[in-house]
Amino acid sequence: MNDNEAILRVRNLSKTYMQGKIPVHALSDVSFDVQKSEFLSIVGPSGSGKSTFLSMIGLLDKPTSGSVFIDGIEVTKASDREAPVIRREKIGFVFQHFNLIPTLSALENVDIAMRFARVPKSRRKERAVELLTQMGLRDRMNHKPSELSGGEQQRVAIARAMANYPAIILADEPTGEVDTKTRDMIVALLKELAEKGQTILIVTHDTAVSARTNRVITMRDGMIESDTKVEEK
Amino acid sequence: MFDLIIKNITQRKLRTGLTVFGIALGIFAVIVMGGMSEHFNLTFDRSMSLTADKIRVLPEGGFGGGNLNESKVREVKRVPGVSDAYGLLEAPLDPESLGMFGGDMVLGIPPEKQELAMKDTKLTEGRFLVTGDSYRAVLGSGVAREFNLKVGDELEVKSKRVARAGTITHTRNFTVVGILEYTGSFFDNAVQVPLDRAQKFFDRGDTVSLILAVPDPNADPEDLTKRIELNVEKVKAFSPAELRKQIEQSLVVFSLITISAAVLAAIIGGLSVMNTMLMSVSERTKEFGLMKALGAETRDILFMTMGEAALMGILGGILGIIGGGALVYYLNDYLASKGTTLFTITPRLLVISIVFSTLLGVISGAYPAYRAAKMSPMEALRYE
Repeated sequence: MNDNEAILRVRNLSKTYMQGKIPVHALSDVSFDVQKSEFLSIVGPSGSGKSTFLSMIGLLDKPTSGSVFIDGIEVTKASDREAPVIRREKIGFVFQHFNLIPTLSALENVDIAMRFARVPKSRRKERAVELLTQMGLRDRMNHKPSELSGGEQQRVAIARAMANYPAIILADEPTGEVDTKTRDMIVALLKELAEKGQTILIVTHDTAVSARTNRVITMRDGMIESDTKVEEK
Repeated sequence: MFDLIIKNITQRKLRTGLTVFGIALGIFAVIVMGGMSEHFNLTFDRSMSLTADKIRVLPEGGFGGGNLNESKVREVKRVPGVSDAYGLLEAPLDPESLGMFGGDMVLGIPPEKQELAMKDTKLTEGRFLVTGDSYRAVLGSGVAREFNLKVGDELEVKSKRVARAGTITHTRNFTVVGILEYTGSFFDNAVQVPLDRAQKFFDRGDTVSLILAVPDPNADPEDLTKRIELNVEKVKAFSPAELRKQIEQSLVVFSLITISAAVLAAIIGGLSVMNTMLMSVSERTKEFGLMKALGAETRDILFMTMGEAALMGILGGILGIIGGGALVYYLNDYLASKGTTLFTITPRLLVISIVFSTLLGVISGAYPAYRAAKMSPMEALRYE
């Protein structure tokens, strides 16, 4: 694998928590690369370390040791001032519970990610409309999250994650709160984005989701158990 | 970011409304109490400036504490460095109505000294007193308005005298010969009459309430004040500077009491902002975590939360100023019909009120904002 083409490089990543006086090794020496436009999933049972891993590469938590490089930048060395810049420029988050701001409309929820990146107002609106149209939500743009279905809310969240043209989208159980029909639709949407060049990493315990990704990393006890390329059907 | 701030505070209308109302009450108190304090300060300043060049000579026991008379006036006049001296007699216009703040007064003044004593004050109507005037009066603008008088009208003055069977009230009409322009001083509430007529009508013999001594142009007022006390027995003299200092000290105490009460009320309003913001930050923990995950910087969260608190402060300030201003307007309007005013809202008071309410919001919002800004995004996102 050529390191220079990797969007995400993880090297010897470890995370140890202290539970009272007992050390708990949530991640142990994890290393792998993700290439541009890869659509991969990380699977594993509860406590396997997959969510901890996602927090490390999303700069939401700091590792005990090891390095993470996103788009060539060693994000694990980012200071508190640099971290927000990397989060908004390199990473797009999609959460299990959608995490939309309830007081804002769909359009404003997409817009807010670009506000923090200091994108001019006119450009923000244009981009938000473009993304929501791409997500099939053009006629739902001015609705509040409470007026949208679970699938629609998650599509707004995906649009928000894509707003700043991130190097990678990190999706934490993105289909955990929707029915199977909506799940299939969301996975198809993510796959389509990956085919257009967007790198997407999904953490899931749903095998129906992982089966549709191009690569599946299985984690157990904080370590990579297997790393499998899935053949295109 | 302002649209987000407005959206957030209008989202919880009742809570925001109550918080803004709390601040508004505090600023309302600042405006009313401050307006009263400003009024007294300004009245004092204008009154002082009208007689700033003269030394006041009072009885040794203070104002009303003993008898000054015409012979004392002559003694003061003889002191080297005094170019002129004259006595004034003060008495209430209506002895039965003392009034909350002194009310109107009759000021007996030697007619030939009146124009000089009033410095540059002009008349809106008529003339000043002249030698030979008997029961004639020059009215302050407040008195003229209160009794709706013009030159040529008669003003009834009452005098209460002690007699064997008790007190007897005498009345006497004085003809209005002049009306002074508005000065913003105590003279607005004075009826100036010839000193000899005042002494006679109020049965005071040849006594006066105070003596004003005019220093020679070359004399040092401070030295002259001491010389008057040295040369004239049983009097206490105040140079303009000393009098100003003494009155300012009492005004500072008055201002401190009134403003402290108002500031306390406003601080309670500030605590309500802090309480609201703490609740709001706690409720929106997950939202702040999300914003950080989306790349919000500490300053974005600080700006947003402190902006909400500041906006509530500004709104409270504006409402307080409107409410306080309205009350002051109506009270002044009512009191004007009684010939007095009690409040003055100065530009300085308005600026202080709005700056204070804004700062109150910002300071009260600082701690909740700091809490929001310092949240770990991961912990905030996990918060339920």
